[in-house]
Order: sequence, then C-alpha cells, then structure tokens
Amino acid sequence: MISITEAVLLLLIIGTAIATMLLRDVLAAIITFAAYSLSMAVLWLLLRAPDVALTEAAIGAGVTTILFLVAISKTLRPSTDRVLRRVDWKVLVVVGLFATVMLLTVPGIPAIGDPAAPAVNNEQVSQYYLDNAYKETGVENAVTAVLAAYRGFDTFGEAVVVFTAGVAVLVVLKEEAFT
Amino acid sequence: MSADRRLRPYVESNVIMTVVRILSPFVLTYGLFVMFHGAESAGGGFQGGAIVAAMVIMLAFAYGMEPTRQWLSNRLIVLLMGGGVLTFAGVGLGAMVLGGDFLEYLEYGSVTASKYGIELVELSIGGIVSAALTGLFFAIVHGFEFKRGEEE
Amino acid sequence: MIDLILTRYHYIAAILLLAIGLYMLIAIKNLVAKVIGLNIFQTGIFLFFITTGMVTGGAPPLLGPHAEGPFVSPLPHVLILTAIVVGVSLTAVALTLIVRIYAEYGSLREDIIREVRANE
Repeated sequence: MISITEAVLLLLIIGTAIATMLLRDVLAAIITFAAYSLSMAVLWLLLRAPDVALTEAAIGAGVTTILFLVAISKTLRPSTDRVLRRVDWKVLVVVGLFATVMLLTVPGIPAIGDPAAPAVNNEQVSQYYLDNAYKETGVENAVTAVLAAYRGFDTFGEAVVVFTAGVAVLVVLKEEAFT
Repeated sequence: MSADRRLRPYVESNVIMTVVRILSPFVLTYGLFVMFHGAESAGGGFQGGAIVAAMVIMLAFAYGMEPTRQWLSNRLIVLLMGGGVLTFAGVGLGAMVLGGDFLEYLEYGSVTASKYGIELVELSIGGIVSAALTGLFFAIVHGFEFKRGEEE
Repeated sequence: MIDLILTRYHYIAAILLLAIGLYMLIAIKNLVAKVIGLNIFQTGIFLFFITTGMVTGGAPPLLGPHAEGPFVSPLPHVLILTAIVVGVSLTAVALTLIVRIYAEYGSLREDIIREVRANE
C-alpha cells in the first residue's frame, strides 16, 4: 500500500520533471532540475538507501547543477515573453508508444517490497553478502563491503572512468599543459 | 527582437563572502568525516569527494575564479587525481604480490588489516572524485575565458 | 487494475520519467536542455533499480551491532552509486563539448548549428 508521504513525493517528482520539460528559459529549467534532484534524494531515503541519497544530493543537486550553470553562464540568453514551450505532437506520440510498451511489462514484475522477490531472496548473492560481510571484511556497511571488497574491480574501473573524464575535458579544451 | 541579457558569473557581494568564509571549514570537515565513515555508517569515498568538490567550487564563486585557481594550484589537483588511482591500484596489486587475487584484502593478514585496506581505498576514491570534479570545473571556466580573449 | 497500480507505483513513475527524459532528448532544440533530459532519463532508471531491492518494513543495509530484521538488498545500491558518478562524468564531458561548439558556431540551438554547417 502506498503511504501519503510517498504519494506526495512521487507527485512532486513527476511535477518538477514535467516543469523542467516545459519551461522555455534554460536557466529556469536548470533550477527546476535541482529541485527535482533533491526530491529524488528524499525518495531514496524512503526506499531505505542512505548511501544513494547522500550521493544523489551531493552530486545531482550539487555538482551537476553547478556544471550546468557554468556552461550557460557565458552564453546569450534571448529573453522571451512566453513561459512554456510549444509541445511537439509527433515526438509526443512516439514517446507515448514507448511508454505504453514499457508499461505492458509492469504486471510481470513482483510487487514492491516483496520479501520473496528474486532480487532480494537470492542465497548466493544478496543473502550471502548480508550474512558474511562483517566476518570476512570487517566493515559494517554492507554497501561499502560490496563496493570495495566483493565487487572491487568494478569500483576500480569506475574510478578510472572519472579520471578519464577529467583528461577528456582537458583535451577537448586544448589545455594539455594543465600543470 | 527584444534585448538579449548576458549573465555575469562573478558578483562581488559581502554577504556571499562572509557566509562562505564561515561555512567552509565546517563543510570541508564534514566531507572528510563522510569519507572516513564509509566503513561504519552511510558514506564513503564518492559522497565525501562530491561534498569537498562542491565546497571548493563555492569558494571559487565567492572569491573569484582566478584567486582560487592560484591558491589551489593545478599541480595539486593533478597529484591528487593521479595519486588516488595509483594508491587504489597499489592496494590491489599488493594483494597479488602477496599471493592472492586482485584486491583480496585477507592476504594482508587479519580482518583488521582488511578494514584498513578498505579505508585506504575509500580515501583514494575520495581524492580522485574531488580532484576530478574540481579540475573539470576550473578547466571549463578557464576554457571560456581563453576563447573569449581569442575572439576579441 | 487498481491493485496493480497500488502495488507497483514506483515502476510506473520510473517509466514516466523515462518518457519525459526521452521527450526532452528528442524534441527540444537547445543542447543544454538535451543534456538535462539525459539526466532525467538516468534517474528514472535508478528509481527502477532501487525499487527492485526494496523489502517492506526492512532496514537499510547497515549491519551494526543493533541492526535487526530483514535488510534490503545492497546490490542495487552499489550499482546505482557507480552509475551516478559515471553519469556526472558523462554530463561534464558533454557540457565541455557544448562549450566548444558554442565557441565555434555562436549558438546553442541544433537547427541553427545545422544551418551554419550546411552553408559552410
């Protein structure tokens, strides 16, 4: 069953997403996107994911918004008198078809919070990590244990991806002599 | 056609400078706290790195891009980024040298050594993420100024 | 039907977010707004993944000495942590390319850029 908090939060999330889609001024769309990102961070908390909530609040509502603002800060903003964009009907039909096809798969997914769902009740993976994380690695946070110990190679790859993004930005901006 | 508006990114404001000067030590300490406490409660390298990067960018907004860029020299950013990747690879390859698989922390000794290995890995991830995000921001801002000087 | 909506509402919200992100990516002419649409698309997928690991009345996966009861699965959280950071790297590189495009062509709208390239 859905609680009032979750229902209001989901309405807020969908509302800010639609507002980001329809606002014509890009600066207003960026600020609305920051509000959307912060609402998503609260939703992660309600879904019992504190690590993801911290990351989404710090990176989504913090760093991504700042990068967007810096990117448009030196561009000209044409001032307009209309507030909302004109909706493109052809694209709306195509996107509606896409959404309908995806919604047809929803009855096959187990209900939210089902303790017997295969993603949660797995003996070899999820239950094994939850039972043995403290004994084998010494950390109490199961997410950190999986991130750094059980699936540490993926985390190494991801750290290298962040490093590569930094190098790629320097190459595109022709600043190879960064030091 | 109606008039175009150009945004000015740096506004000298006493309110912003005072607030940022008071807040910055606390937020930077909090970022370090989150990095260190990844092993016990919610937190870790990614979150702490993002918090530190966001705070450095706020300092740049309050006091101007050029002074912050000179204070935080480019060499330090590159050192943190490269050092983080090398530390992570070093912890992993060290376990291979001692006879185990890549990143098998139990080869270092006891479960306590495993916990310290994980803490070191989290700190290096925090270093990489904070240095990369800060360096990205400064590179984009400097790239703007460079191109504008070229056009004029 | 109502029972279906009441037990799977997060999945429906995730699909709506995917649709909104896809619309922004295709229909809007401004390049920065396209990147915003890409970010909304990514957060829709994160919502889908984290909902699959949820257990009703469960505790977050922090196994302290006082924690008890059924825990939610930690695997989707790890996947989404990595995905969020990769997403911000992607956004940063995309915005850098947009900065260079603006320096070359002087506009952020894709139809104007296409015209300028066709006239060259």
